[in-house]
Amino acid sequence: MLENVPVITLLILIPLIGAMIAFLLGKHPKASKIVALVFSAIPLAISVILLSEFSLNIGTFQYVESYSWISSLGISYTVGADGISIVMVFLTALLSFLAILFSWDVEERTHQYMGLMLVLEVGVMGVFTSMDYFLFYVFWEVVLIPMYFLIAVWGGPRRSYASIKFFIYTHIASLVMLLGILALYFEAESHLGYATFNMQAIASVSGQFGQLFQIVVFGALFFGFIVKMPMVPFHTWLPDAHVEAPTAGSVLLAGLLLKMGAYGIIRICLPTLPYAANQYQIVMIIIAIVSILYGAVMCLAQKDLKKMVAYSSISHMGIVMLGIATLGQLGITAAVFQMFAHGLITAVLFMICGIVGHHVGTRNMPRLGGLAAKMPYMAVFMMIGFMASLGLPGMVGFLAEFSVFTATFEAFGWLLLLPIISVALTAAYYIWAMQKTLFGPLTKEVDVEHIHDLTWFEAAPLVVLTGLIVLFGMLPGLIFDYITPSVKLLTAVVFGGA
Amino acid sequence: MIDIQAIRPEVILALFAILVPAVGLLVARFFKGTSISKVCAAFSLVGVGLAFLDAFMFVYNNDAGVYFVGGLLKLDQFSSLFMMIFLGVAFYVILASARFIQEDKHQPEFYSLIMIATVGMMVVASSTDLITMFVGIEMTSISSYALVAFRKRDAKGAESAVKYFIIGGLSSGLTLFGISLLYGVAHTTSFAGIGQVVTMNSPMQSVIFLALALTVAGLGFKVAIVPFHMWAPDVYEGAPTTVTAMLAAGSKKMGFVALFKLLLIGLFAIRANWEMMIGIVAIVTMTVGNLAAISQTNIKRMLAYSSIAQAGYILISVAVGTQYALSAGIMQIMTHAFMKGGAFIIVATLATVAVGESINNYKGLAKRAPFIAFGMMIMMFSLAGIPPLAGFFSKFVLFSSPIQQSAVAGSEWMVWLAVAGIINSAISLYYYLRIVKYMYVDEPEEGTSTEKLKLPKSMVAAVAICVFMVILIGVWPDPFFNAAKQAAAAFFA
Repeated sequence: MLENVPVITLLILIPLIGAMIAFLLGKHPKASKIVALVFSAIPLAISVILLSEFSLNIGTFQYVESYSWISSLGISYTVGADGISIVMVFLTALLSFLAILFSWDVEERTHQYMGLMLVLEVGVMGVFTSMDYFLFYVFWEVVLIPMYFLIAVWGGPRRSYASIKFFIYTHIASLVMLLGILALYFEAESHLGYATFNMQAIASVSGQFGQLFQIVVFGALFFGFIVKMPMVPFHTWLPDAHVEAPTAGSVLLAGLLLKMGAYGIIRICLPTLPYAANQYQIVMIIIAIVSILYGAVMCLAQKDLKKMVAYSSISHMGIVMLGIATLGQLGITAAVFQMFAHGLITAVLFMICGIVGHHVGTRNMPRLGGLAAKMPYMAVFMMIGFMASLGLPGMVGFLAEFSVFTATFEAFGWLLLLPIISVALTAAYYIWAMQKTLFGPLTKEVDVEHIHDLTWFEAAPLVVLTGLIVLFGMLPGLIFDYITPSVKLLTAVVFGGA
Repeated sequence: MIDIQAIRPEVILALFAILVPAVGLLVARFFKGTSISKVCAAFSLVGVGLAFLDAFMFVYNNDAGVYFVGGLLKLDQFSSLFMMIFLGVAFYVILASARFIQEDKHQPEFYSLIMIATVGMMVVASSTDLITMFVGIEMTSISSYALVAFRKRDAKGAESAVKYFIIGGLSSGLTLFGISLLYGVAHTTSFAGIGQVVTMNSPMQSVIFLALALTVAGLGFKVAIVPFHMWAPDVYEGAPTTVTAMLAAGSKKMGFVALFKLLLIGLFAIRANWEMMIGIVAIVTMTVGNLAAISQTNIKRMLAYSSIAQAGYILISVAVGTQYALSAGIMQIMTHAFMKGGAFIIVATLATVAVGESINNYKGLAKRAPFIAFGMMIMMFSLAGIPPLAGFFSKFVLFSSPIQQSAVAGSEWMVWLAVAGIINSAISLYYYLRIVKYMYVDEPEEGTSTEKLKLPKSMVAAVAICVFMVILIGVWPDPFFNAAKQAAAAFFA
């Protein structure tokens, strides 16, 4: 059914068209919301069809489209999806749609808000499907602009500082990455005999790259990616950006943008620079473990519910990095699954933070308490979200972390004891947070008279997400079936089938 | 035999420049009540358009180079591409000026001067000899002195014109002194001839070095590279804003053409003497420009410092000196002509509706003038190098050239040019982003009305041309980069 349709281009183009329409609907805020919802629903539908039509067991890129773009430099518009991409594409379409639905009550400059959400979807979708470095970089940078405006216009009190910090910090990282890409391009040209930015073509001559060259270029690319993930010590933009961002912005920032960094390492660093990947393994392990523990410890110290969730993201992205650091098939597969799982779970958590902040008026935990009595449905979803995030068996987060830890044990043995401390820490901060906000006597510090429970547009995304968290927790094979063949192929090429 | 094709674009434009005052006179005499400025502008646009078409046909037909009288001027892919850039700048500057100078005196002369300045730039582009190059530079410079002083009752304008004149005279003197020394050594003033004679083994190395220093300093004033940049912010601020657009987008680029010809043809054999120096100057120039731009509160001064930084980026292509680097430099000149010129035209447009030059006046602009604010945002993001805009693509190729060259033994240090460029791009993002933030995020200052501004259509059209070009080159750079590559190939042929 999709043989002759440029599906991937449609996934990128439809939100773009929607964004342009939304920008023009300045006088009709209601209409712009409907446009945004429709134009994000279509990519979601396409991505679901794509999942069902996708040929499992092959592992290679499918639905590849390639058109020459800037022939004088060997740049082409080449997009496609393998098992890793397709899972991320689904996550992108799903979260974008739900985030737009969740933003139904945005009153200020609605049409611009909706347009920017769609532009953000375009950028992320492009990053996950690009097969050309130039194209990849263009989409990578395009993501920054809507996110900057979302924070700067609809953000909290310190939005000006947070948005500029976010933009400049991640832009510097991108530029360093760009240097690495340019070096790869010229080096590959001398081995291939022709100039190209095609990722697979460049990866095909990776064996001929010099060792020093690999180490330097890996460093540049890796830096670009870990700032985005973000890993300690380049994480400081994240808590600021999250605290100030509007709720839906946070959902997409944590759910999608952070995944771009991890995706970049898996898609670019490992297959293109395998020698350096082995050399950097120790660095990856260290920053992974430090991020996991530092993120978890910082969570314990937070008073702001949203800041706590932001730090928990650092901790959980550390687990992704740990999976990658094993450089083995199981570890990387688990890392991708953890990316997907974290995307679903963190979306729930940030939505809950947004609801608490919005309905109660503060997210400051010492001032909260006993909210379960006033907002029972919210309390249920918060508990589900926290339980999923701390790794309760039967939910998607448990399987992801479990498989990463299994791979870690296989690869590094008892080193596993260090990251596994975080499981206890995670349980601690979530349960404390729950006690402080949901249970105990009803808070007297805020006006509790007018607190109401979830509205329909808040409840609907939460129902969908928690449903999927349980579904994929019970049937993880649904997702693993896509990831495994592609990772197998990737590791076979890179590490001789480790 | 005189081959007129070699100078046909210049001749066309010069004819129109001479005729414009007559047209102005006729209008004043016989069509009272018609706007002289508009008629003269329309007449000039025809001339610019015809000259552009002539240059374009040359590029389009991919003709072989043509010499004029024994080789003082040469029309080839390189010079015709630059002519198109200069004429493109002249086109939107004249279009925007039609309304901008409507209240001023001597309108026909204004257009005449702009066109003569453009003829000078075109002469530099096609010069193959130091003398023709110098004549071209002087034609442009003297016309621009008058243009800067155009509003002579404006104290700031007059002051900056005097400053510009003195600095310009000094720089011409330095250049001419250098030229005379070179002539003494090489017994020729043609670039190619100098290139054959002046080598690392030729006698009088110290004189050659002095000549190099003097010419680079002289031209350095024209393109405002550090430490010869002090005049630029003052002059850019004081000049009528459409003239500033021409100075930044046109005459500054003429200086680069002259530098290309002098260093990459004339003194190419002794490049070991200057490549490192130019590299260091490039890094210092971009850094000083960007750091100074951060603290500016006047938008024209900010854009002036940003121009200095951009000059530093373009210098990278001179330091690297390969054919690929030159095509990258040409690409950057092309995109900069539209993004920086466009930004100045936007400032000029807003000035006609009493929006001041302080960056605080741009707060909340998105509500008052949505299209202009959008245009400014595009220019700012393009200058900062955000894809998919023209400025990103040109920086992309520009910064890639030193990386490519650094693989060659002895040129490893060039990778630092790319690193410096990248760090500077990141710094510059701060002040470009601030303008965008003021326009889109902040509320208008107290006391300003929030009503939509009524902007002159011709100026909005000039802005639209620039915005269109910046987006077009960004999304579909292929034909433009191919033209730049061909120009670079013709340059080194």
